[in-house]
Formats: sequence, C-alpha cells, structure tokens
Amino acid sequence: MLSALRLTRRFDARVAVEDVSFEVEPGEVFALLGPNGAGKTTTLRMLAGLIAPTSGAVHVDGEPMTRATAARLRGRIGFLTEAPGLWDRLSVRQNLRVYARLHGLPDPERAVDEALETFGLRDRGADAAAQLSKGLKQRVALARTLMHRPSTVLLDEPTSGLDPEAARDVRELIQRLRRERRAVLLSTHNLDEVERVADRVAVLRGRLVASDTPAALRARLFGARVRVALGAAAPSFAPVLRAAGFRDVREEAESLSIAVDDTSRRAPEIVRALVHAGAEVREVAAEEPPLEDVYLRLLSQGDA
Amino acid sequence: MTALLAKELADLRKNPSVFVPAIITGIMAILLPFFVAVIVPGVTGERLADSSDFQVALELYRDQPGLKGLAPEAAVQAWIFQQFLILLVITPIAASMSVAAYTVIGEKQARTLEPLLATPLTTFELLAAKVLGSFIPALGLTLAAFALYLGGALLFAEPGVARALLTARSLLIVFVLGPVAALAALQMAVCVSSRVNDPRSAQQIGALIILPVAGLLVAQVTGSFLLTGTVVLLIALGLMVLNAGLMALGIALFDRESILTRWK
Repeated sequence: MLSALRLTRRFDARVAVEDVSFEVEPGEVFALLGPNGAGKTTTLRMLAGLIAPTSGAVHVDGEPMTRATAARLRGRIGFLTEAPGLWDRLSVRQNLRVYARLHGLPDPERAVDEALETFGLRDRGADAAAQLSKGLKQRVALARTLMHRPSTVLLDEPTSGLDPEAARDVRELIQRLRRERRAVLLSTHNLDEVERVADRVAVLRGRLVASDTPAALRARLFGARVRVALGAAAPSFAPVLRAAGFRDVREEAESLSIAVDDTSRRAPEIVRALVHAGAEVREVAAEEPPLEDVYLRLLSQGDA
Repeated sequence: MTALLAKELADLRKNPSVFVPAIITGIMAILLPFFVAVIVPGVTGERLADSSDFQVALELYRDQPGLKGLAPEAAVQAWIFQQFLILLVITPIAASMSVAAYTVIGEKQARTLEPLLATPLTTFELLAAKVLGSFIPALGLTLAAFALYLGGALLFAEPGVARALLTARSLLIVFVLGPVAALAALQMAVCVSSRVNDPRSAQQIGALIILPVAGLLVAQVTGSFLLTGTVVLLIALGLMVLNAGLMALGIALFDRESILTRWK
C-alpha cells in the first residue's frame, strides 16, 4: 500500500505541491490527473523517494520513507519515468541485467529471462536499445520497472507517444498489475486511458482538487441523467415527464435527457410515462458525460 | 555497485572511440623521449653525453638508483626516460577525464539518471562506480603505455637503459603515484560532473589536477626538486588521503534533487 500524507514540496519560493494526501490500496489503480506543471511528476518523485517532501510523509507498505529507509524502500517501488531512459549502446538484455543486479535479485540472469519472456522481448534481447521503436523501448522500460516485483508501481505517462496497439498492451499490463494486487499510481494526461483502467481518480493542480471514483465524480458534478431516444419529436413529450415529477428535462430533436436521483429506479418510470403518453421509445441509456467534461469542470471550479 | 561498474565498462567497450585521444596522446608521450634521446642524436650524430647541459643533469642525478654503473650515453638516456615517465603516467589520465567528466551529465542528458536513482543504489555506490568506470580503462592504458615504453627502451636505447627504468622509484611512479593521481583527478571530474550541467566545464575543472603533476615534471627536469622513491611514496600517501576526502566531498556535493529538478 502507498500513502501520501499532507505532502508539500517547495522549490525556493515556488510551491509545486501543497498538502496532498491520498492512499493507493493493493490491487487498486489510482490515476493522477492534472495540467502541465500541476505537480504530478514532483509528487511521483516524492513517492519514489527521489526527492524529499518539504513537509508531509510517504509510507510504503506501512513503512515511512525517510533518509534512512529511502534506499531500501526504493527496492519495493517500481518507477516508470516519463522517458524510457535506456542505455542506447547496451543491448536490451544488458539494460535489464544492470537493474536486476542493482535490485539485488538472487538470480539476475533468470530474472532477465523471465522479464524478456513476460514482455514479449525474448527475440529482442540481443538488440541494442537504440535500435528499438518507441513502443518497444517503453516495453523494455516497463520490464525494468517491474522485474523486481515491486508492491507499488508508479507510472509516469506510460502510454505517451505510443501507437494504439502499444498503448493497449500497456493498459493490459496495468490491468494485470491490478490482478496481481499491486498498488498502481498512474500519472497521465490521457483521459481515455484513465476511463479504461483507473479505479479512482485524483485531479491535481498544486493542491488536490478532487479525488474519487470516476462515477462518483460524474455524479457529484453533473448528477445522474437518463437519455431516451424517441421515434417522434421529443418536445411534445417533455411536459408529460414534467407532469410526472421530473423537473429537469432537456429536449433535443428526437431525444430527451432527464435528471434523476437513481437511474435504475427512475428509468422504468420514465419509460412507462412516455409509453402511456403514446411515445415510441427506441433507446434508454444512462447518460455519462465524458471524463474530460468532469476533469475540465473540476479544473474550472479550482480556478474559481 | 559492481552492476553499475559492469555497465560503465560495457558501455565503454561499445564506444571505444572515446579513448582515441587517450591513445594518441599516450603514443606521443611514448615517442617524445625516444625522439629526444634516440632519434635526434642518431640523425645528428651528436652524442648526448657530450652536451654540457646533460652533464649538469647527470651531475645532479648521478647518485640516483638505476643510473649508477651505466655508460655516459646510456646514463643520459636513462635520465631522460625517467623524467618522461611522469608525462607517460599522466597522459592517459588526462585523456580519460573526458569520460569521467561526462559520466553524470551524460546520464542526465540521456535521461537515464532518474531510473537509476529510483533503485536502491546509494550515492557512494553511484559515484564509486562512475569513478572506477573511468579509472580502470585509464589504468589499463597507463600499464600498456609503460609496457611499450619499456619494450621500446629495450629495443632502441643503449644497453642498460630499460633496466634503469625498473627501479623502485619508477615502479612507484607507474604503479602507485600514477593510479592514485588518476583516482584523484577522475574523482574531481565526477564531483564536478555532478555539480555543473555542461560536460566541458567538468572536464576543464577536473583537468586542473594535471597542473601540479606537470609542475613536478618541470621541477624534475630543472633539478629544483628531486623526486626520490621516498618522496613519490609520500606524495602517493597524500593523494590517498585526498582521495578519501574527495569521495566524502563528492557524496556531500551530489545533490540528487537539484540534478533531477533543475538540470535541463
């Protein structure tokens, strides 16, 4: 488990991160969102034991990160930095071997073999890192990050610049890490990726603007809504719903969007009322605003 | 630490061209005394022993081990070869400075430093691996240059000159003074490399170690300072203390936070 407690980091007069607290449980994927300069990388570096917080504390598996424990605790963390950071002249195998030995793995060669196998790099072990595509470099960097089986994994922009296929591989890997009960912290700008893999989301802008599950954030900001597609002009049916007690009904050409307190309980009532009024109901769906809307709304609230 | 050292050496093996300047300057340092002591007298037909300048030198150094019992021409040659030995020792070191100077900055510029610092590696282990990664090739070059130097003296100099180079003083210079001076120079370069964000600055500042050694060479040649075996040993001991201090200083100066957050 990873926990950040009231983390603050100043660089001279500039406050990069202020009073940030959260926990990432084993088997949880926690996404850190925020605009450039929001303090995501600084937060990750503090969590990885690379830089010390000005105040606040980091705990890894319940143990506090201090000057005395940092080197040892770094062995329990896998930190994928924004750039793959491979030694270009060395082969893939040599790159991994150095890290296997730096982490003190009992059988480095075996660990490297396993990593090459797991990450589909068995045939590329002898290739110089410089020869690899960006996607393959990222895969090697991930193998390096996870080779020592860390309980906590920090991923800084893991799919940045990758093609869709390579990005999908990374997302599958994150899902696998969740199944293996690792605590995964993902820093990214990619909201689609967050939507697909994150259990909880935190929006950071120096301070933590919000932190919750994507569904809870949506509900908090936009409320729950049901969208009904009709076979006829929708405006004529809006009064029917208002009469049935639904106060917030938005009309579009052939659909209605209705605010509800509970989607599963209210949707049948809506359908019944519309059918009773003679409407042809073609489709009913819970309306989920994209995470992007949630994110932008949170940031604008932060500005306000 | 050995993991990172192995990486440093593997990286250098894949990029041998970084040692081309070291090899060229080493060859020049080997050829220079042969040019002065063997080629020029051979071409001009004038014996060194007949020169009044060298007579003064021989007068100063006649009691030095290795020169006793040599014929006058061989004694002058042996004296020249002994003086140039210092140059031979420092030349590969000076050339290896570029490797040491680039070591931390190079990692930062290649964006390989942050993943490295995210491992359990301590600052001591990082710096020691970086210094040894430059030191071991420099030492290898020095020893190879010395072997060539001896072989050349055996083949081309007067009889007895090569043996005169195998005195305790000469061996102390090559196997003790040279390595500890190299270690000090390379540690300085690595120290500076972790404080500046331009490898050229590190190389230039670290190369300052050459100045006292070059001064030693001049003092030898002019006879103002006699570098006996005891003096060599004392200087080496002083450099060993300096090396311990430089490592402590390097650890104190290595500010991983600044390196990660302020260097671009």
